[in-house]
Amino acid sequence: MLLTRKGQSGQRSAQRFSSSLTDSLSRALPTMDRRTFLKRSGIGIGAGIAASQLNLIQRARAADGADKAGGNGKIEVRRTVCTHCSVGCAVDAVVENGVWVRQEPVFDSPINLGAHCAKGAALREHGHGEYRLKYPMKLVNGKYQRISWDQALQEVSAKLLEIKKATGPDSVFFVGSSKHNNEQSQLLRKFVSFFGTNNCDHQARICHSTTVAGVANTWGYGAMTNSYNDMQNSKAIMYIGSNAAEAHPVSMLHMLHAKESGTKVIVVDPRFTRTAAKSDQYVRIRSGSDIPYLYGMLYHIFKNGWEDKKYINDRVYGMEKVREEVMKWTPDKVEEACGVPEAEVFKAAETMAKNRPSTVVWCMGQTQHSIGNAMVRASCILQLALGNVGVSGGGTNIFRGHDNVQGATDVGPNPDSLPGYYGLATGAWKHWANVWGVDYEWVKKQYASQAMMEKSGTTVSRWVDAVLEKNEFIDQDNNVRGMVFWGHAPNSQTRGLDMKKALDKLDLLVVIDPYPSATAAMAAMKVDGQELNPNRAVYLLPAATQFETSGSVTASNRSIQWREKVIEPLFESRTDHMIMYQLAEKLGFGKELVAKLKLVPGKGGMMEPEPESMLREINRGNWTIGYTGQSPERLKAHMRNMHLFDVKTLRCKGGKDAASGYDMTGDYFGLPWPCYGTPELKHPGSPNLYDNTRHVMDGGGNFRANFGVEREGVNLLAEDGSHSVGADITTGYPEFDHVLLKKLGWWDDLTEEEKKAAEGKNWKTDLSGGIQRVCLKVHGVHPFGNAKARAVVWNFPDPVPLHREPIYGTKPDLVAKYPTHDDKKAFWRLPTLYKSIQQKNVEAKLYEKFPIILTSGRLVEYEGGGEETRSNPWLAELQQDNFVEINPKAASDRGIRDGEYVIVSTPTGARIKVKALVTPRVGPDTAFIPFHFSGWWQGKDMLEYYPEGAAPVVRGEAVNTATTYGYDSVTMMQETKTTICNIERYTA
Amino acid sequence: MARMKFICDSERCIECNSCATACKNEHEVPWGVNRRRVVTINDGVIGQEKTISVACMHCSDAPCMAVCPVDCFYRTDEGVVLHNKDTCIGCGYCSYACPFGAPQFPSNGTFGLRGKMDKCTFCAGGPEENGSKAEFDKYGRNRLAEGKLPACAEMCSTKALLGGDGDAIADIFRTRVIRRGKGSEVWGWGTAYGKSPNPDAKAPTPNAKVPEGGKVS
Amino acid sequence: QDPGKPAAAAAPNVESIDILKQNQAERTRDQPGNNAPTWRIVKEGTQNYSSLPYKEAGILIQPKAQFPGQEHATTAGEAWRRYRNGPLITFGGWLLIAALAALLAIYVVKGPARNSIPPTGRLIERFTPTERFVHWSVAISFSLLGLSGLVMAFGRHVLMPLFGHTLFGWLAYLCKNIHNFVGPVFLVSTVVFFAVYVRDNLPGKSDLHWLSRLGGVLGKDKHASSGRFNAGEKIWFWGGLTVLGLVVSASGFVLDKLVPGMPYLRGDMQVAHVIHLIGAVLFIAGAFGHIYMGTLGSEGAYKGMREGYVDDAWAMEHHDLWYEQIQRGDIPRIRSREERPETGAPAKA
Ligand SMILES: Nc1nc2c(c(=O)[nH]1)N[C@H]1C(S)=C(S)[C@@H](COP(=O)(O)OP(=O)(O)OC[C@H]3O[C@@H](n4cnc5c(=O)[nH]c(N)nc54)[C@H](O)[C@@H]3O)O[C@H]1N2
Ligand SMILES: Nc1nc2c(c(=O)[nH]1)N[C@H]1C(S)=C(S)[C@@H](COP(=O)(O)OP(=O)(O)OC[C@H]3O[C@@H](n4cnc5c(=O)[nH]c(N)nc54)[C@H](O)[C@@H]3O)O[C@H]1N2
Ligand code: HEM
Ligand code: HEM
Ligand code: SF4
Ligand code: SF4
Ligand code: SF4
Ligand code: SF4
Ligand code: SF4
Ligand SMILES: [Mo]
Repeated sequence: MLLTRKGQSGQRSAQRFSSSLTDSLSRALPTMDRRTFLKRSGIGIGAGIAASQLNLIQRARAADGADKAGGNGKIEVRRTVCTHCSVGCAVDAVVENGVWVRQEPVFDSPINLGAHCAKGAALREHGHGEYRLKYPMKLVNGKYQRISWDQALQEVSAKLLEIKKATGPDSVFFVGSSKHNNEQSQLLRKFVSFFGTNNCDHQARICHSTTVAGVANTWGYGAMTNSYNDMQNSKAIMYIGSNAAEAHPVSMLHMLHAKESGTKVIVVDPRFTRTAAKSDQYVRIRSGSDIPYLYGMLYHIFKNGWEDKKYINDRVYGMEKVREEVMKWTPDKVEEACGVPEAEVFKAAETMAKNRPSTVVWCMGQTQHSIGNAMVRASCILQLALGNVGVSGGGTNIFRGHDNVQGATDVGPNPDSLPGYYGLATGAWKHWANVWGVDYEWVKKQYASQAMMEKSGTTVSRWVDAVLEKNEFIDQDNNVRGMVFWGHAPNSQTRGLDMKKALDKLDLLVVIDPYPSATAAMAAMKVDGQELNPNRAVYLLPAATQFETSGSVTASNRSIQWREKVIEPLFESRTDHMIMYQLAEKLGFGKELVAKLKLVPGKGGMMEPEPESMLREINRGNWTIGYTGQSPERLKAHMRNMHLFDVKTLRCKGGKDAASGYDMTGDYFGLPWPCYGTPELKHPGSPNLYDNTRHVMDGGGNFRANFGVEREGVNLLAEDGSHSVGADITTGYPEFDHVLLKKLGWWDDLTEEEKKAAEGKNWKTDLSGGIQRVCLKVHGVHPFGNAKARAVVWNFPDPVPLHREPIYGTKPDLVAKYPTHDDKKAFWRLPTLYKSIQQKNVEAKLYEKFPIILTSGRLVEYEGGGEETRSNPWLAELQQDNFVEINPKAASDRGIRDGEYVIVSTPTGARIKVKALVTPRVGPDTAFIPFHFSGWWQGKDMLEYYPEGAAPVVRGEAVNTATTYGYDSVTMMQETKTTICNIERYTA
Repeated sequence: MARMKFICDSERCIECNSCATACKNEHEVPWGVNRRRVVTINDGVIGQEKTISVACMHCSDAPCMAVCPVDCFYRTDEGVVLHNKDTCIGCGYCSYACPFGAPQFPSNGTFGLRGKMDKCTFCAGGPEENGSKAEFDKYGRNRLAEGKLPACAEMCSTKALLGGDGDAIADIFRTRVIRRGKGSEVWGWGTAYGKSPNPDAKAPTPNAKVPEGGKVS
Repeated sequence: QDPGKPAAAAAPNVESIDILKQNQAERTRDQPGNNAPTWRIVKEGTQNYSSLPYKEAGILIQPKAQFPGQEHATTAGEAWRRYRNGPLITFGGWLLIAALAALLAIYVVKGPARNSIPPTGRLIERFTPTERFVHWSVAISFSLLGLSGLVMAFGRHVLMPLFGHTLFGWLAYLCKNIHNFVGPVFLVSTVVFFAVYVRDNLPGKSDLHWLSRLGGVLGKDKHASSGRFNAGEKIWFWGGLTVLGLVVSASGFVLDKLVPGMPYLRGDMQVAHVIHLIGAVLFIAGAFGHIYMGTLGSEGAYKGMREGYVDDAWAMEHHDLWYEQIQRGDIPRIRSREERPETGAPAKA
């Protein structure tokens, strides 16, 4: 019995040739009989047994390669990875004659098992790119005009050199991108360094910078400790400030699976989110009050003796100090500060304590505050108290943001560090000059001075002030005059009104992006009918997307995946690394930029560095974080053989890659960093960080010794017996360098060649990888030492995390009790205000004029500034208007009805027009606006300012036009999650 | 014989709209036509919110089929309710009759001008030759003929949406329900597949309804 | 039906009355895992949240509805389907067939109606060209609507088996478009018709008399006296043209989505459709009778409507009171003279 209604028609049609791009794939697939169909679709007898997850049975399809189209040679399937968030869902792109005609789910992927959210399911639209910028453009007399690439590169580089000559390299700011792949990210950091500045940044600043700093300072690495998959092992999960159902939807696959086996889920959020809808306990807190809540939990944990005393003793430094602070947070104070009654806090604490391993998930709800660094540390402390870190099913599952924000943070354009968190000290520069194959002295000459070379640049959250601030207050010679937006939207940074002023003051604005239109329109927008700075040069360069190149991308769980190139760059767009190379040539450092890289012909036969060779350069340099073992060959083998990896453990049960013969047995999928040593060492990657129940060559580890061996007489190293399985050293130990190796008598374990390279080096700078090899393979110890995690981070403004009220708040009484920090002078090169503004706000009684807490965040359909996703009609149709979530009570007090336009005003003077979504998702004191919109400016559509044909399908008011001042006291994270507003009916 | 059905597991569905966009993508469905849509009940109400993804349920005794003035619906061997756009006159009756709001029209219908009705095909194309360009243009891909399941269900972020043989997906669902001990409601099944006491319900005769172009073997 | 679904009433320890009032949160507290309150909402057809801005996007299942005569409420779409495919199409179809059969029977029994008074040769202008134009606009648009409507309603059962799918599909498509566009023409014609004809259709004393004798079927003389229009015609005017015309037009405008500002929800459409179909069937049945009377049922009437003139004899026989008025000179013999001054005398005088 045939499946099809029309008998042999499948075969018939397969013989007939048709040039149609769209249909021949389906025709090429033979009509199959029912048995085959049932087998493939997993509906057959037997296949359904015990399959409570459809994905499991669908994996059965992998075996017979149903997706590999036969017959027509022109159909190719290219495996790539979704570019819209850090989950890292794999996609098979079906390409016919160079056209992306279909996309198929990759059921084999252990990360997403074929699943997608709306954005991933709409990925193929990137192959159309109807609303993209199609050729370079330049702003002439207020309108964007088409120019040639040659002219664009010529003029942009000339302007850059002109600015550099006149006011120094630090007057240009480069905003890089977490959307770049690892190779491009590192190349951009190199590019910026060779231009001579540290004024570069990317999305991580306004995303997880507080996490990275807070967590790295607590125990070693600033990253998600476990994985989405590992959450299947958790017995309780607490989401605090994460709306994974919208922001990391496919992660929910693992969570819901766990939940079906009894895992308890708690969601702590000011809003009853789609994630909260899946929880067992929802806790509504006031935005910005995470620390009181977390300390409230810890209060009950300590009071009931639920903490893991042995773990704390062996592996944690400073818990007593924290405990002192915690015990001040009695239930009444907790309730006063965060609004949660004792019983609820107790229940959550009990759930987390009695269902171990339990994990904490956080995201922007914690990071985007002026005390973000302290909030994330409070979460770490909770997990340390419960002994949950370094445990499968436990950990801090910090869901990262953009598809490659982890990678860009690790190896990309950061103002305070060279790739791999080496910092900016002379030694770091020497290390990287060495890796990049350039002369250290030459690099130094590019900078204004060695001091500027070693001083952190300013941040993307503050570039506006770097332009506008009075020159005498900024910590560099001249203000920023030139901005290069290289894959970053403008509407993602706060204080839109000020940003417009800064854009108008610039001398040069370059936007290199497939969808540069948000920045373009904002820059071209006239103010009161006037163009304020007609002499300003504005250029738009069409970049290719990640589907038009290949390269590696690091998912939230640190797994690295390799994207195959799906299609050639569309229109006149060029890959980012080609643009970097071509600009570098014009700027005079082209040769240096690619000194150790292989050049290959790219679009139109023009040369560009080969992604594989760029990855090898990453492998050669990033010893600190173990980006060294992930050679292109290993990554590609993983991508081809996803079905060999276990969904729960991510481990390869055994198997060889047919194409390369590489044996993946024991590897973790995507070699989650740290994957130490050279690729030849075959470190399997680290699925869960700091897990001392495994051998280090098995992905095990312990907390990092990064802060010395003792402090004020207190031991900072791990206690005896607390070491990773099989380690030759069973006590705590410091990090390894040539001296320690020699002392221990392990020096001779190095080969002669390794000895040469390792002499005078440590585990981070030994380019041979010998030190790491000897530690890991020969002695089973961790190259970065074995220390305690720090509950007290003495180098931060609040060593013990303290609650401080947001700069803009609605509770003056609490400001009096928990005031913010003192103002800072030269902080990331800029004066930064805290108390002075907070005080002024209280005195001006802003809480009366703006009585509603305004928070912002994500919708599942759109990503980031949203220009890309709002240009995708499949997504745009689903969210056609920006809106504000407002509680029915707050709405009826104001006579606002659902679906009507309202004006949301904030103390900046901004008045934005959005639709009211009257919903109990938020409480009466809170309102929420998604931040993905742009294209309206305080009620007016900016369509006329867009480059022709490059406006997104849906436009709307950007919440960041209205957001206020406020920055984290360590990382300069912008305070986007808590500000204040008023909402009124809109009357035309 | 397989009887194709959908289950949307509301304990899992997170309103991610993947199903809706997967469908748009796979079949190049135009703006305004939504073969699948996602609906949230008790939105924002603590402890009461549930989300469901809904499309044509391919009813047993399909009201759309019964009211169509030109009888352009037919049912495949797998129980998939399909229609013939060549004969559809765009009268809208199917959309009045359908309990689930599945039938969609490309235009707004002033003067009754709606264009040809479009709805979820269970990714099974239409009466044109399997995999032909004509089939794709009118009905989208025919995944069933390729041995694949519906795009929406395959891409569902949480595997809340199950599409396939009714018995098989009910088994999967049942296993889940047993594991979690709740959420056993199979949404919409009563309406879509329940026995109808309606005398007007003719047993569908799939073969007879296949328009010219082939016979079922 | 719903496998595994716990019956709502089986919930222990909860009083049956309260059970229907409980919301999901309360139910979850009393009986974790029971989602009945949520599913009740679904089945009630509530408008829920959907990010799509389209109306009714948030309704999962249409609300329940029950048309007159239906035993219990079902999903509105299902109720409508049963009503349309059941009573409306069945009885409607039989009604039309019965009407035709009755007329046929009358014809067979009575044969073609003949005037008893021989023609005088003198003519009266019964309908001015305007009146005729208006009548035929109504008649033609009605016929188009009726025929096309019937094709839509009954073609599937009657014509499709004859024509086959494809041909019938084309026909139906044609009919549907004719119907949709002619509908407004019909309404306009009807309104003008009403304005032109209403004066002579106002009910009068003679109508009672006419009616009591059923237009001459009862009683001694063959003819009951009547004015320009007899009570039967007036009934057709008021009941048919005016009331049914309005009913089908109004409901038709809704179905055509021509009423500004209406949301056009499915429920509206179902009701409009039911009204439309009932109205249409009655109207068509009535029209059968009217057309019969205008042609076979009354000799000379058709000529009067086609050419405008009737013989004095015809007037005397059928509309004696009107004839008297003309004889008295209350009504001119030829009313359209002013428009056609060159026509001195009746063409066929
Ligand atoms: N669809 C979609 N997915 C994305 C992205 C996207 O743009 N669109 N972006 C990606 C990126 S870059 C990131 S960083 C992630 C972000 O992912 P998330 O952080 O999960 O998303 P948000 O919506 O920004 O914020 C999460 C929640 O924090 C809550 N919140 C607000 N204030 C507070 C507070 O003070 N305390 C607590 N506990 N919660 C608070 C908000 O109500 C919100 O529900 O998503 C990634 N995934
Ligand atoms: N109010 C408020 N503001 C926020 C947040 C919030 O929650 N509330 N969240 C913050 C967070 S967490 C983040 S991460 C930011 C995100 O905000 P952004 O990162 O600024 O927003 P995106 O739109 O994702 O910007 C990415 C840009 O890169 C472009 N792009 C994509 N692929 C490529 C490529 O391959 N090459 C190049 N050159 N360009 C490419 C896209 O077209 C897009 O213009 O927003 C922050 N802003
Ligand atoms: C005057 C006499 C009319 C008659 C006898 C008539 C008859 C009918 C009939 C029999 C149907 C089919 C019902 C079914 O299939 O169930 C129908 C449908 C319809 N009628 Fe009429 N109708 C008339 C007037 C109108 C008018 C004035 C309008 C609009 C202005 C109109 C608009 C419609 C519409 C929109 C439909 C739905 C079918 C479709 O859209 O294709 N009708 N009518
Ligand atoms: C298609 C075939 C039709 C024929 C042959 C026909 C014939 C006639 C004739 C002969 C008369 C004149 C009767 C008289 O002199 O007293 C008449 C009058 C009239 N007709 Fe028709 N007719 C037709 C259709 C219609 C239709 C479809 C309608 C209404 C919807 C209609 C409404 C009327 C009305 C209202 C009058 C005037 C009677 C009065 O005002 O009471 N006719 N018709
Ligand atoms: S946006 Fe994230 S969750 Fe959605 S498909 Fe892409 S990678 Fe997966
Ligand atoms: S869901 Fe609607 S369209 Fe689909 S078969 Fe049932 S009645 Fe027809
Ligand atoms: S719109 Fe088309 S499919 Fe629907 S009932 Fe009318 S003719 Fe049939
Ligand atoms: S089954 Fe296919 S046609 Fe139907 S909703 Fe899903 S993707 Fe769309
Ligand atoms: S894809 Fe799945 S989880 Fe997402 S809305 Fe659709 S059914 Fe729900
Ligand atoms: Mo982010």
